[in-house]
Amino acid sequence: MNSLLRPSRRVLLEALVLMLVAAAAGLSLNYAMVMNAFSGRNIVLAPQATDPGAEQQFPLPVDYEELEELLAAGQLLVDARDPHLYADAHLPGAISLPLGEVDLRLDAFSTRISKETPLIIYCNGFGCPDSFDLGVRLIAESYRHVRVYEGGFPEWRDRGRLLESGAP
Amino acid sequence: MKQVLYHLCRLLLAGVFLYAGFLKGRDPVAFAGSIASYQILPYAFNYLVAATLPFVELLGGTLLLLNRRVRPALLVLFGLNSVFMLALVSLLLRGLDVDCGCFHPAGEEGTGTSPQMALLRDAGLMLAIVCAWILHQPAADELLDD
Repeated sequence: MNSLLRPSRRVLLEALVLMLVAAAAGLSLNYAMVMNAFSGRNIVLAPQATDPGAEQQFPLPVDYEELEELLAAGQLLVDARDPHLYADAHLPGAISLPLGEVDLRLDAFSTRISKETPLIIYCNGFGCPDSFDLGVRLIAESYRHVRVYEGGFPEWRDRGRLLESGAP
Repeated sequence: MKQVLYHLCRLLLAGVFLYAGFLKGRDPVAFAGSIASYQILPYAFNYLVAATLPFVELLGGTLLLLNRRVRPALLVLFGLNSVFMLALVSLLLRGLDVDCGCFHPAGEEGTGTSPQMALLRDAGLMLAIVCAWILHQPAADELLDD
């Protein structure tokens, strides 16, 4: 039974080759995405077949440690959560721009915040897609420096950091 | 009978991993976000895994479908499935809630799979992998150094 389950040297070698070939194929097809992720630029995907010539951009995530540095450098936080959650508690200095109300509020937001302002968007933490989706939308609206704090409100709160409350 | 069971396991695994690889591979940025929600890897490495892992699943699934190099493919998928299960267990141990409860469709209740259900599904796949491994009769060229 033991020898039945134990892989031979040949099988191990072929499995290794299989993984290397698959990894090489994946890396070659997603080269730009991986290089951008490691170099800290916004994620840029190849133009979509349905929209030739268009370039779709995605915001790069920011972790907690980097967030500290960026906030110290004066970058602006944007809260993508529901306005009621924002009113209960939000990160200090954050501006509310809920993803669900972005069409209503974008004009006012654009008047107040210049397109050159570096923005860091957050929502309800890892797994919450709203900050990412809002980032994509703001990049499409010509905001040039947009990143996403993926740990979001829960990570900030759980680290015992200062919170503010009050309506947007 | 054994051969019927072997082919059932092989085709089931091929279908599951081809489907999973296709879904992940067509939107690697979204998949990187899913990996990030596990909070295991540094940020940029989520993108590296998202770029490569779907192709491992696709290649493994293709070999199983074609009934070629079955044991190497099973071994790779066994390793992959083990990693998935470990990641799910770590999710449960840390009590992480990866569904945000936001109004975005992806976060709506009932659209996702809980870590417990995913773990159960992976355990079933693991059983199929072990069955296929045991029941597989290697071709003559695969027995050269056995």
